[in-house]
Amino acid sequence: MNSVSPSGVQYVGRGGVGVVAQDDPLQGEESQRALQPPGGDPGGGSSFGNQQPPDGGRLKETTTAGEPDEVDKLKAKLMSAWNNVKYGWAVKSKTTFNKTSPVIVMGNSYPLSCEDEVELFRQAFVSRLWLTYRREFPQLEGSMWTTDCGWGCMLRSGQMLLAQGLLMHLLPQDWSWPEAQELADVDFEALRPRSPSRAGGVPIPSFGYSSSPRIPTTPQRASASAGRGQRNRPESCKDRQSDLIHRRLVAWFGDVPLAPFGVHKLVELGRSSGKKAGDWYGPSVVAHILQRAVSQTSEVQNIAVYVAQDCTVYKGDVVHLCSVSGLEASGPGWKSVIILVPVRLGGEALNTAYIKCVKNILDLKCCIGIMGGKPKHSLFFIGCQDEQLLYLDPHYCQAVVDVTQDNFPLESFHCSSPRKMPFSRMDPSCTIGFYAKTKEDFEFLCRDVSKALSSTIEKYPIFTFVEGKSQDYGLVGHSSAHLQSDPSPSPTQILPLGRLSNSNDRSSSDEFVFL
Amino acid sequence: MPPFEKPQNSLPFKQRKSLATRKQEVAGIRTKFPTKIPVIIERYQREKYLPPLDKTKFLVPQELSMTQFVTIIRNRMSLMQSQAFYLLIDNSGLASMSLTMAEVYKDHKDDDGFLYMTYASQEMFGHCVEMQKLYVIAGCVASAFGRPVD
Repeated sequence: MNSVSPSGVQYVGRGGVGVVAQDDPLQGEESQRALQPPGGDPGGGSSFGNQQPPDGGRLKETTTAGEPDEVDKLKAKLMSAWNNVKYGWAVKSKTTFNKTSPVIVMGNSYPLSCEDEVELFRQAFVSRLWLTYRREFPQLEGSMWTTDCGWGCMLRSGQMLLAQGLLMHLLPQDWSWPEAQELADVDFEALRPRSPSRAGGVPIPSFGYSSSPRIPTTPQRASASAGRGQRNRPESCKDRQSDLIHRRLVAWFGDVPLAPFGVHKLVELGRSSGKKAGDWYGPSVVAHILQRAVSQTSEVQNIAVYVAQDCTVYKGDVVHLCSVSGLEASGPGWKSVIILVPVRLGGEALNTAYIKCVKNILDLKCCIGIMGGKPKHSLFFIGCQDEQLLYLDPHYCQAVVDVTQDNFPLESFHCSSPRKMPFSRMDPSCTIGFYAKTKEDFEFLCRDVSKALSSTIEKYPIFTFVEGKSQDYGLVGHSSAHLQSDPSPSPTQILPLGRLSNSNDRSSSDEFVFL
Repeated sequence: MPPFEKPQNSLPFKQRKSLATRKQEVAGIRTKFPTKIPVIIERYQREKYLPPLDKTKFLVPQELSMTQFVTIIRNRMSLMQSQAFYLLIDNSGLASMSLTMAEVYKDHKDDDGFLYMTYASQEMFGHCVEMQKLYVIAGCVASAFGRPVD
């Protein structure tokens, strides 16, 4: 039930009728065609990883103008209901936060016992960029897709991770969105420490007051509003500038072909990894796509993305990537860096020995979140509380927003419903993100992350920082032209690494392969 | 996406051979090559993206680092550098890349004397519609009759 996402309430409740598909029968109907193949079996039987409708995507149909008749209305209702439940939103439930233990958001700890801290938590949570499925955007090149509903969740989580890195890069550390909404569908309760059997289990039923977003009269809410009132200060020049940067940053993730980090661009850059629109993406593939996207754009200055290779961050490679050569060194001579580490924290399920380590990482100021999820359902993890991860969920299909317009609405790019899920349900595949502004920050990052990684029960850290460059370690890039989907193994390829097998021995050694 | 490939040896190595046989194999090879480490490398049973390896049993120089070892296996499979590839020890933990094979062997060798490793890429994420089908139908019916979906 944790998959329940920010419901439409926040929009409806704020008078934003029409923002949510379900409010408009015509819109709902049309969008549904985009999401779902005609016929009753959208899953395509047992096929996995390719939820593409049989017709290859959306077929635009010409709808007759005029009033929809009753049948159409019913159909639209059915369709929008389908849309609603398909992505797991149908059940609304509250997320309960334990007031007696702190919640961590992007390396900041908020002890929720104090109302001022609850207010700070709200600002921190709602100010994160929330990027979700969108529909009715310009067709993706080379396909019929005009939506990423059902397949683009990992791309969205990746976008959110990059957005967090860019927020850190461009805005002051204490920045928060002045128009951040009130929190919706949350309870704050004083819970006793959970017994091990309940740890990470279903939320404990709430007996306290429950605050509904429609009735902002609870004590929490009132105080939060008061807190916000105090914070209202005359808008300074700096604030205006922050607003502009914030808006520009959101626009970079817009669903238009020209946006440097929009779905259109990311899908295009995924082609060299053998991915196309409609495919499912993994956290490692998306890390490499983001790396290409940042290196190709001229919109964002002085930042680079480094993707770790085989769970190893080669510090020499990062230094090389970030050093700005003499001619173009107009700035500090050092590019800021986003470090992405794709990992696999277990086989079928998360190896529980790594939970402490993930917590330690989320507690670091330099961490910009983890793109991962629960099986088949990507989420962007931004923090944790007790045995649960705090996340932003991209599985909410919203109408596209035209980011090329001045003053386009920002509300749908921020989420007001914090959600949590137990660590035990976390999929072992994920990519961890870090940001370092300066060279000095990078040194601190290496030190802090190494410390966080080593203080765990598991003897081996999940990844390591090493001095030097990857080529120093004999890692000659395998520049094979093979596509990753090439299923044929090449039995002849054994690296001639030092002393090799003695052919006399081989006959007597059964079927062992000598390395 | 094609359906699962049926591996030729569908049973894991451990289940194909008895403990006694495996012990015997290790004892035999360790006598001949005391400085080499016997490693079993198998594909994660639900792996869908990485190709199967043609061989299962490897004899690895003990001073080889995990980084070098991973590179060799990657090359055997002709993987691109950017493609996700993880070696899980005993199907659960990642080995630190700076360790040598001897160190990993010391900590993780099986009772039979082999070191077991599983290779896997990463899972892909997307929405699995199948699972919620019933749910969907219920929701649609409820909504069609005017009840709210929640």
